[in-house]
Amino acid sequence: MSVLVYTENWDGKFKKLSYELVSYASSVAEMLNMKVIALTIGKADDDELRILGNYGAARIINLVSDRLTVLDNQAYAKVIADYAQKEGSKVIVFSNNMTGKALAPRLSVRLKAGIGSGVSKLPLNLDPFTVYKRAYSGNAFAHVIIRSDIKILTLAQNSFEIIEKPTGAVPETAGIDVDGIPVNTTVTETRKQTGKILLTDADIVVSGGRGMKSPDNWAPLVELASLLNGATACSRPVSDEGWRPHEEHTGQTGKIIAPNLYMAFGISGATQHLAGISSSRFIVAINSDKDAPIFKAAQYGIIGDAMKVLPKLVDAVKKKI
Amino acid sequence: MTKQIVFAVALFLTFAVFFYTVNRLIKFFSFTKPAFPVKDFGKRFRLMMRVAFGQSKIFRRPVIGFFHALVFWGFCVILFGSIEMVIDGLAGTERVLHFLGPVYNFIIASGDIFAIVVAISISIFSIRRNFLHIKRFSGIEMKTRSHIDATISLTLILLLMISLIGMNAGYIGFKTLSGEPAFGIYPFSKFISSNFQASFTAGQYHLLYEICWWSHTLGIFIFANYLPYSKHFHVFMSVPNVFLSRLDPLGKLANMDNITREVRLMLDPNTAFTAASADVPVERFGIKDSDDATWKNYFDSLSCTECGRCTSVCPANITGKKLSPRKVMMDLRARMKEKGPLMIKNGKDFNDNRSLLRNFISEEELWACTTCNACAKECPININQPSLIVDMRRYLVLEEASAPGELKSVFNNIENNGAPWQYPAEDRLNWTRDLGFEVSVFSALPAGGAKPECLFWVGCAGAFDDRYKKVVRAFATILNKLNVSYAVLGKEETCTGDPARRAGNEMLYQMQALQVIEILKGYDIKKIITTCPHCYNIFKNEYPDLGGNYEVINYLQLIDRYIEEGRLKLNRKSLRNVSITFHDPCYLGRANDIYSEPRSIVGSLTDNFVEMKRHKSFALCCGAGGGQMFKEAEKGSKEIFIERTEEALAADANLVATACPFCMTMITDGLKYKNKEEEIKNLDIAELVVRAMEE
Amino acid sequence: MKILVCISNVPDTTTKIKFAEGNTSIDTSGIQWVINPWDELSLTRALELKDDALSGVKSVTVAHVGPAGSEPTIRKALAIGADDAVRVNYIAPDAYSVAAQLAEVIKKEGFDIVMCGIESSDFNGSAVGGMISEFLAIPSVSSVSGLKIEDGIPVLTREIDGGRESVKVPVPFVAVVQKGIAKEPRIASMRGIMTARTKPVRLYEPVAAESLTETARFEKPAPRAACKYIDPENPAQLIELLQNEAKVI
Repeated sequence: MSVLVYTENWDGKFKKLSYELVSYASSVAEMLNMKVIALTIGKADDDELRILGNYGAARIINLVSDRLTVLDNQAYAKVIADYAQKEGSKVIVFSNNMTGKALAPRLSVRLKAGIGSGVSKLPLNLDPFTVYKRAYSGNAFAHVIIRSDIKILTLAQNSFEIIEKPTGAVPETAGIDVDGIPVNTTVTETRKQTGKILLTDADIVVSGGRGMKSPDNWAPLVELASLLNGATACSRPVSDEGWRPHEEHTGQTGKIIAPNLYMAFGISGATQHLAGISSSRFIVAINSDKDAPIFKAAQYGIIGDAMKVLPKLVDAVKKKI
Repeated sequence: MTKQIVFAVALFLTFAVFFYTVNRLIKFFSFTKPAFPVKDFGKRFRLMMRVAFGQSKIFRRPVIGFFHALVFWGFCVILFGSIEMVIDGLAGTERVLHFLGPVYNFIIASGDIFAIVVAISISIFSIRRNFLHIKRFSGIEMKTRSHIDATISLTLILLLMISLIGMNAGYIGFKTLSGEPAFGIYPFSKFISSNFQASFTAGQYHLLYEICWWSHTLGIFIFANYLPYSKHFHVFMSVPNVFLSRLDPLGKLANMDNITREVRLMLDPNTAFTAASADVPVERFGIKDSDDATWKNYFDSLSCTECGRCTSVCPANITGKKLSPRKVMMDLRARMKEKGPLMIKNGKDFNDNRSLLRNFISEEELWACTTCNACAKECPININQPSLIVDMRRYLVLEEASAPGELKSVFNNIENNGAPWQYPAEDRLNWTRDLGFEVSVFSALPAGGAKPECLFWVGCAGAFDDRYKKVVRAFATILNKLNVSYAVLGKEETCTGDPARRAGNEMLYQMQALQVIEILKGYDIKKIITTCPHCYNIFKNEYPDLGGNYEVINYLQLIDRYIEEGRLKLNRKSLRNVSITFHDPCYLGRANDIYSEPRSIVGSLTDNFVEMKRHKSFALCCGAGGGQMFKEAEKGSKEIFIERTEEALAADANLVATACPFCMTMITDGLKYKNKEEEIKNLDIAELVVRAMEE
Repeated sequence: MKILVCISNVPDTTTKIKFAEGNTSIDTSGIQWVINPWDELSLTRALELKDDALSGVKSVTVAHVGPAGSEPTIRKALAIGADDAVRVNYIAPDAYSVAAQLAEVIKKEGFDIVMCGIESSDFNGSAVGGMISEFLAIPSVSSVSGLKIEDGIPVLTREIDGGRESVKVPVPFVAVVQKGIAKEPRIASMRGIMTARTKPVRLYEPVAAESLTETARFEKPAPRAACKYIDPENPAQLIELLQNEAKVI
C-alpha cells in the first residue's frame, strides 16, 4: 500500500511545485503509515530525479515510451492508473495544475476513486477521510469526505511548504507497454512565450498609477516586477496618457486579473480599477493619500510616496533573493 | 393672351414635376413606420410660432443666426408677392392684390426692402462658405456634392432677389416715367431706379420689368422643383417639421410597446415558459434600414439643411470620434433615396443586401454617442437625432445581441446583481454606516405605522461608488436636518435600467423598470427624491409609459425650495469668496431644462460664481452618458472628459461643483489628469450645502 | 457536427455566500442563479462555430443535471442561441455522479464534441469534463483556450506551462475549456428570448449511479483583515511579510 505522487517533468526537469507535491505526499503517507512512490512519465534527468528523494520519495519511477512524448490525457491516465493498481496505491496525489486537472478526473473514473480537488491542507481526518478545499471561488471552504477505497488528491498551488526528508532513493527507469493504449493526441504546433510574462498569467503583478507622477519614474517598478518574476500593469489614466502600453491597463474596461499578489503604486483605487483586481489574493497599496479607497481593499499598505518607497523595496527584494 | 398661355403651361409643367416628386416622396413615406400620434395642436402651433417663425433656435448663434432670420422672414414676406405674381400670370392682371390697400403697400414695401437684405445676407453666406474656413461646413459627410448643392441654392436665391429688385425697379421706373399710378411702395427699388432715371426710357424700364418678372417666376418654378432634391428642401419642410416635433422632454426615449408585451410574459411565472410569441409577428426591433425608420425620422432627414450645428456641438465629434449627428440624418435621406425606388419597383420586401446600418452608418459611430442631446437641442428645426441613434442601437442589441464587450458585462451585471457593476444588493446600505443618525428603510418599518412621505432613491452609484457615497451621505444629512419624512429601499433597490436603455437594451430596461414599479407599488410610493439625474429623468419621463406614475423631485429642487422658503439657512463663511463654477449635467439640463436651481443654490453660498464658456443648454457633456462610463471610448483625438475639464479650468474657479455621480467621476478624473487635484476641488452641491450648514 | 455544452447552475458571482442547516448546505434564499461563467464562454464559442457556415457544426445542445428549479438557467442558454436542451432530473451529490448521468445522455444521443467548463464557480471541482471522457472511453483535451474547425477537422489550442500548443484529437472527444475559449460571453437577442420559450428541453430520469465523495460541511473564511500598515521608512518589512506571512513571494 502506497501513496503515489505524479510529478510531471518539464523537458526532464522538475520545479518548486514538484517538491511541494512530494513533501505533501510524504506527509500524507506518514499519516497513513505508507510509503511514497514518485512517478513521472517522459525521460527525466537522473540528478533531477534524485532530488525528489530529498523530500520523502521512497521510490522514484520514471516511465518512458517513445509513443508518450506529449500529454495525451487518455493514455497517461491509463498508464498511471495501471501503475497505481499494480503498486496497490491507496492515495494518488497530483498538483491542481493544468496537468493534474487533465488527469485526475480520468483516474477517478478508472479507479472509482473519489477526488479532493484543490486541497490546501493535509487531510483533516482519516476516518472518514476528510479533506479541506476552497469552494465558491474563495468565498468558503469545504470539508469533503472521500468514501471510496482509493482516494485522489490534487494539491492547490502555493499551499504546502517544502519539507526536507532525504530517503536516498535511487531512480528506476522503465519502459511502458503501449499496446492497447489509445494514444490519439497530435500536437501540430507549440508556441512558447518568450521573455515577458503575460499579465493575465502572472502570479505577481506590480502596477503603477498617476501617483507615479511621470513615465520616467517607471524604471524601479519594472525592476521590482522583474526581480519578483512578475508582470507589470497600470491604471487607466496611465495607459490613456501613453505612459505605459495599452495591454497593461487593468480595470473594468481593461484587463481583469486575479494574481496571488497585486502591488499598486500610486493608484487611488477607484471603483473601475478595483473591479479589475479585487479577486487578487493579496493586494498591497502604496499611496501618499491615507484616504485612498485602495487601502480598504488591501491587506498591506504603506502610506508614503511611491517614488521613495520603490527603490527601498527593490533593495529589500535583492537582499532576499 | 399668349403671355397667360405660356405662363399657364409653365405653371402646369412646374406642378407636374412637383407632383411627381411629392408622389415619390409619399411612397417613400409609406415605407416608414409609425412614430407618435399628432395631437396637442395648440401646443404645436405655439411651438411653430416660436421656433419656426420666431427663429428662436437659430439665434443660439446670435450673429449669423440674425442674418438667417432675416432671410427667413424675407422669404415669408416675399412669398406674398410671389403668390400675386402667379395670379397675375394666369389672369393677365398686373399687381392684382393692390386692392388690399395699405396692407398691400406695407407687405410689398417690406418685400422690397427684404429683397436687398436677403441679397446681402446671401452674399455674406457665400463669402463665409467660400472664403472663410468654417469648421462645420466640412466633414466626411460633406462631399463635393453638398458644396455644389449649397452653391447652387445660394446662387439661385441671389438671382431671385436680384430679379425681384430688377422687377420692382423696372416697375416703379416705368410707372414714374409714364406717369401711371403705381401699385405698392418700393422704398429700395425706387432708390435704385431713381439713380438711373436719366439713363433709361420708360420702355426700357418696362422691358427690364418684363424680363425680371419672367426670370423671377421661372426662377421660382425651377427653385421649387430643385428644392426637394437639395439640402434646401428645408425651405418647404422646416415649418412643418417644427409643427410635427416630438413634444416630449429631450431626456425621454420612446417606449417600445412590442417589447413590453414580451417582458410582461417573461415576468409572469405562468406564462414565462409556455406562452407563444406575439400574435402579430414583429417585423423588426429597432432600426436597421431606412424602412425601419419612423415617418418622423424620415421627415427629419428631408428637413435637414446640412448646416452642421448639431455636429459642431456633439462632444464625440468635437473630440475626434467618427460620430456626426448630421451625417446620421444625411445617411438616412441618402439610403431612402437609394432603396425607395428599388422598393417601389420590386416590392416592399426587396432586399438589395445593403442597409443603413454598416453600409452608411457604422457601429463605431453609433457607440460613440453619449446621448447628451446637444444635437437635438441645437437643431434650429427640432430634428431629433438621438432617437434615431438609440433606435439603431436597439436593433444591434435586441436583434443581433451585438454591443461593445464592456456593455455586455454591464447588461449581465444589471440582470444578475441589479447594478451596472458587480456588487451584491446586500451592500446597498453600507453608505448609512456611522452617519450619526438613523436612515429608515421601508422594509424595516412597522406595518400599520406612519408611512414616510417620500422615497429617497439612492441609486447604484450612491450605494456602490466610494466617492459618490459621500454625496448621498451629505444629502441624507440635509434631509435629516430638514426633518423631511422619507425612507430608503435599501437592499430592495435595483437598477432603474437607465444604462441599459441608453445602450439600446430596451428589454433589460423594461424588465428592471417593471420590477421597480412593482416594488414601489408594494409600498404605495407616490413621491420620489433622487440625487442622480439619470434616475430622476427615467422616473419622471419614462416610467409613466410603463405604468409608474410618481411625483419626482430632484434634490436640487428640494434644496432650492427650502432655501427660498427660509427653512434651510446657510452660513456663507467658508465659501463666500471661493470661486465656484458649475458643470450642468446633461440629464438635468438639456434633458429636463433644470438650470436655475443649482445656480441659485451655489449663488447663496458664494459671491464668486463663474460660468464656463459652454454652460446651461450649451454645456458640454462630461462624456460618461450613453454607456460611455462603462466602456472604452471610441477612437478619437481626445477624451471628452478632458475637453470639459480644460473648459472648467479655463473658467478659473477654485471649485467645480457637480450634481451627478457620472459627472463627478469624470471631472475628478479630469482634474487628476491635469494634475490640478490639489488646488482645485470637485464637490457635489449637496456636499457644499452640508459644509455651509455645519458651520 | 453536433456539439454538446454541459452547463451548471451556480449563484451569481456577487452573491454573499451564506450557509444553512448547520453549515451543510448553501442558503439559497435571495440567490440569483446564473450559468457557470466558464460554461457560458463555452456555449458562446460553440455558437460562434455554428454561426460560421464553413464549420460544419449543425447544432448546439446544452445539457444540465439538476432539478426543475434550474429551468430558468436552461432557458437562458436557449435564449443565447442553443438549439435544444437536455435535463437530467437529479440533484447530484458529487462530480462523479454528475459525470455518470451526462455520460449516459451522450451515449444515447451521440455528439461529436462535448464541451465542459474547466471548473464551476460553486464547487471549483475541475472534474466533470475529464470524468465524462473516461466514462465514454474517448479522448479529452484539457485547458483548452481555443477551438476552431479547419476543413471539417477540429483544432484545439491547449495551454501549457509558458505557452500553448495546437492539438488534434479524433471525434468524438471532450474539450475541457478555460478562459480564452471565447472573448466575452454572448447575450441573448430579443428573438432568442422569444423563441427560447418553445425550444425543446428533453427530460431524462437519472440512471443508478454512485457517489464517491460527500461535502460534510462548509466553513466561512476568516474575515478579510483590515489593511496592515507598514512604516514607509522601513519598506523592507513589507517584503518580509509578503514572504513569510502571506507567502506570495
